[in-house]
Amino acid sequence: MKEELEKITPSKISSFQVFLIHVCCGLALAVGFWVAHNVYSINLIFDPTGTLRLIWAIEFPVVILLFSCFRQKPEKCSYLKAIARGLLGLPVGALINALGALALGAPAGLQYFERTVSWSLLMSSLTFVPTACVYGSCWTDWHRIFACTKPKGSLDFMLCLPAHGAVIGAWFGAWPMPLDWERPWQDWPICVSYGAMAGYVAGMVGSLGLALMHTGGKQLKAE
Amino acid sequence: MFLHIIAVLIFTKGFLLTRTELPHSSHCSDLSQSPCHSSSYCWTKPVVDRLIIIVLDALRFDFVAPSSFFEQKQPWMDRLKVLHRMTLVNPSSAKIFKAIADPPTTSLQRLKGLTTGALPTFIDVGNSFGAPAIVEDNFIKQLIQNGKRVVVMGDDTWTQLFPNNFNKSYPYPSFNVKDLNTVDNGCIEHLLPSLHQQDWDVLIAHFLGMDHAGHIYGVDSTPMIEKLEQYNAVLEKVIEEIQNQSGPGKLHENSLLLVMGDHGQTLNGDHGGGSPEEVETSIFAMSFKNLPTLPSEFVSSSCEPSKNICISSIHQLDFAVTVSSLLGVPFPFGSIGRVNPELYALAVGTWKLDDNKTWNNQDELKLEEWLQNYVNVICINSWQVKRYVDVYSASSVIGFSSEDLFHISDLYAKAKENQLNLSFDKNESSNTSLPVLKRQIVAYFEFLSYVAELARSKWTEFDLKLMVTGIGIMLFSIYCHILAIRKLNKSYVVSLPLSRDSGISFGLMLASFTVLMRASSLLSNSYILKEGKVANFLLATTCIVTLRFSFMMNKLLLEAIIFLLLIFICRIAIEIGLYKQAATSQFMSASSSWVLGISLSESMWIYIVEIVSILALIILGYFLYNAISSYCRGIAKCAMMGTILSYLLIALYWISESNILDLPHFLKGMGKTYIPRTIYSIGLGQILLMTFVPLFSKEEASSYKGSLYVKMISILSTCSSTIIILQGKQGAFVALGFLLAGYCMMKLQGIEQHSVGGAAKITILDPLPILQWSLLAVCLFFATGHWCAFDGLRYGAAFIGFDEFVLVPQAILLTIDTFGFSHIFSVFGLPLFVQMEHNSLLSINLFWIFMVYGLITATTATATIVCVAIQRRHLMVWGLFAPKFVFDVVGLILTDLLIFVASIYYF
Repeated sequence: MKEELEKITPSKISSFQVFLIHVCCGLALAVGFWVAHNVYSINLIFDPTGTLRLIWAIEFPVVILLFSCFRQKPEKCSYLKAIARGLLGLPVGALINALGALALGAPAGLQYFERTVSWSLLMSSLTFVPTACVYGSCWTDWHRIFACTKPKGSLDFMLCLPAHGAVIGAWFGAWPMPLDWERPWQDWPICVSYGAMAGYVAGMVGSLGLALMHTGGKQLKAE
Repeated sequence: MFLHIIAVLIFTKGFLLTRTELPHSSHCSDLSQSPCHSSSYCWTKPVVDRLIIIVLDALRFDFVAPSSFFEQKQPWMDRLKVLHRMTLVNPSSAKIFKAIADPPTTSLQRLKGLTTGALPTFIDVGNSFGAPAIVEDNFIKQLIQNGKRVVVMGDDTWTQLFPNNFNKSYPYPSFNVKDLNTVDNGCIEHLLPSLHQQDWDVLIAHFLGMDHAGHIYGVDSTPMIEKLEQYNAVLEKVIEEIQNQSGPGKLHENSLLLVMGDHGQTLNGDHGGGSPEEVETSIFAMSFKNLPTLPSEFVSSSCEPSKNICISSIHQLDFAVTVSSLLGVPFPFGSIGRVNPELYALAVGTWKLDDNKTWNNQDELKLEEWLQNYVNVICINSWQVKRYVDVYSASSVIGFSSEDLFHISDLYAKAKENQLNLSFDKNESSNTSLPVLKRQIVAYFEFLSYVAELARSKWTEFDLKLMVTGIGIMLFSIYCHILAIRKLNKSYVVSLPLSRDSGISFGLMLASFTVLMRASSLLSNSYILKEGKVANFLLATTCIVTLRFSFMMNKLLLEAIIFLLLIFICRIAIEIGLYKQAATSQFMSASSSWVLGISLSESMWIYIVEIVSILALIILGYFLYNAISSYCRGIAKCAMMGTILSYLLIALYWISESNILDLPHFLKGMGKTYIPRTIYSIGLGQILLMTFVPLFSKEEASSYKGSLYVKMISILSTCSSTIIILQGKQGAFVALGFLLAGYCMMKLQGIEQHSVGGAAKITILDPLPILQWSLLAVCLFFATGHWCAFDGLRYGAAFIGFDEFVLVPQAILLTIDTFGFSHIFSVFGLPLFVQMEHNSLLSINLFWIFMVYGLITATTATATIVCVAIQRRHLMVWGLFAPKFVFDVVGLILTDLLIFVASIYYF
């Protein structure tokens, strides 16, 4: 019974690994901020495009490299192929994110184009790329994770929760935008990015907790 | 629904400020009742023979004051140089005042306030169109009563406010905001010749150009600066003219010139609220005599030592009474202002300017005499205010509290006592000391300012009890609503063959969450400003959720995506609408949108827009034709043929309006009035047909649902033609989009149930599509270029098919235009979401849908009411929250009414 289960979720992942990956992803974000602040001395408020680009550029290789380790069916798909999938997934995800944002009311002007692109690339690397690395273009898996929200196993949680967290965080992050406080950070897409990253981190914590519970439960069951 | 109306009425009563207007007026003979030193004159000794009042509408304080008063010099400052020069040359006879108006700062209210000396109320703002005559006692009325001759020129509001009061009037219509020059040119044309004539005592010239320029172009614009320069030139001429005539024995020997604004304006040129920019305006007063200076105690100036120009401040309340005292007419009965010492001094000082050359020795004596006179005036002033307060609290329902009254009497008694002492002293020795007089004046000031303060707090106070009652009833009605819906739901579930325990579904949760989100978003002014965007955001969110469901089910993807695309288009339309709003609104900075990239003035674009809109119309007609040929028989068919006919007419109308084809002029004129009228009458005929025919002929429908759809389509098509022509070119697009969105939603609505329940038979009633529908309605309201402000009404729509202004039909047209898509269409379109085929269930279902829709509207309106109540001290309460409140409440009542009508129609 247990073996069968494990066959269905082949690439089993321990809670320690989950922890490690999440810490790395979180660290990548933090490093992105740190580099932006201290090396280039830019920040999100005054130069959103540059900062977002930087964060995204640091985040996405980390994500791709890490999640490619947990690619599905490793016997059929080499590490490099997984990386390629991730690279391919990046623009596709960015496109979808950007379209979603535009439908929700992101400014569509040309002067915002660059910012929207950087933001959507960041969003993509937070939401889309990990799944692309792990599952490739397998429709049923995508379907299972994003449409039905029926993740099984901590790997799915690891993909699903931070991604949803990022999207929901971005959604909430959009709320302060129309307020008339006239703060610089109310500009598109600054607070949305903050919201997305906060949601992402929350999602990571959640998935970590779930992974711990999961393994704990398993161990209990095993005993 | 009736609960709603009651609640709204009660709340409105509490929220909108009311003050009872008293019909009393003052008379010359009243003065004998006062304790003051009475003279042979009427009330006060007239000190000015002729008065010239030049009102410059929307005169900002910084238009007049020298730029050195402000931190930064802006391009619109220092344009009225002649006023500066005059104040510099003879500071004792010419003076600039900062006049502080009371909100609401609309022209009508300000004119009322200026002439009556009383505080305005909000109800009047609503009346701002009709401009009803002032019934209260006012300064113009006093002038007429006392045989003064008044000439007015410019803004026709004056003649509406004071019908038949003027000896001569040269009114010009103030309605057309785009016209910067008619009123002003008319004023200029009559102003200068009038200065030479003898047949008037008071001349009022009201220039409107600045207000209009501000409304259209904003303050920082070339038309505004041109206006200012023009006024500068005019004023220069006027002053020169008067000065030439000001010698002894000449016409303007004893004249006073007042140049004043009725209110200020914001940088965007708007006014109406209570922000400093709007409230602060200016009065420039100039008398053509040399005058002594005032003792410094009563001078509230802020001086600019470097430029030697002092600027004092004055409340607009004080204007009526001060001017009355200058002219020697009785003070208006309801005035609560006080005679302003500085403005009074400007003119009054002249009374003792005898030919005595020993100015220095006489200085003190003169001052004393002046003070004596002033004390007398202010004594009369205090007495008049006291009398008003007494009469008011005796006759009014909502008077002052007894403590306040007691305090007032106390203060007054103290002051009066002094006065008695004073007159006693005076009899003893003619040499009264200055300090006594001064103390006396201070005592009266205390009294007067206390009354003004009290009145201001009373009459700008909201009736909290009524408001809370209103909110309570509103909440109760919502509670009833929810109960009714639950009951319906239960009966529905029970009557289902396969009754199933319906827990709180995800859709319900999402729907209520969205409604709550929307409701709480109304708490902030910025969300109200961008309400269209917020609604769109929420709509898109729900849409994305549906999209996810459709992904889950792997079907109807196309519809979901089309829907999303539609929302995207709608959002662009909203942005354009918001852009339009930004151009006129006082609260939004006009952000240069990318929309500007396409300059609409290019003729090619116009052609494309026209052709495409006609195409959209044709597509609509085609859909209708399809519908006719597939479903309808009999009357419905007739009705729809009528609609198609009117579509054709609309197309014709647009063609005739545009310049694509060179139609002869005669035909154009025909088209302009007759085509819309034909369309209206066709629509009316269709409605009548559909109301009465079913009463006589009861045809048996094969399937209830089918007949319902037929009914719906016919009524929608009936309404659509009128609405489309009112909305103009965008109407066709919007109608098309509406149709498409309705179709998508109808298709999509079942998805969730299918996915959750598995079996297609079981359908839980799902509020999500209805919520989407109502959000879509809100979006369309904004997308069609409306917004929740009175200036957001599209007056142009009221004139389609009519050239002259007739109140009733135009009001109806305006309502149809404003609420057409968002309320009329959407309520009648609700049966789209009926799912059941079965007869009895279907009616329950339909009723349930109506109820939910009503609930959503009611919740939003309640949220608005609560937010308005919470924010009643907000800076923008009159500018933003009150219009929103009015719009929402009207929308709610209209929705209730329409739901009522629709349920009669459909059952």
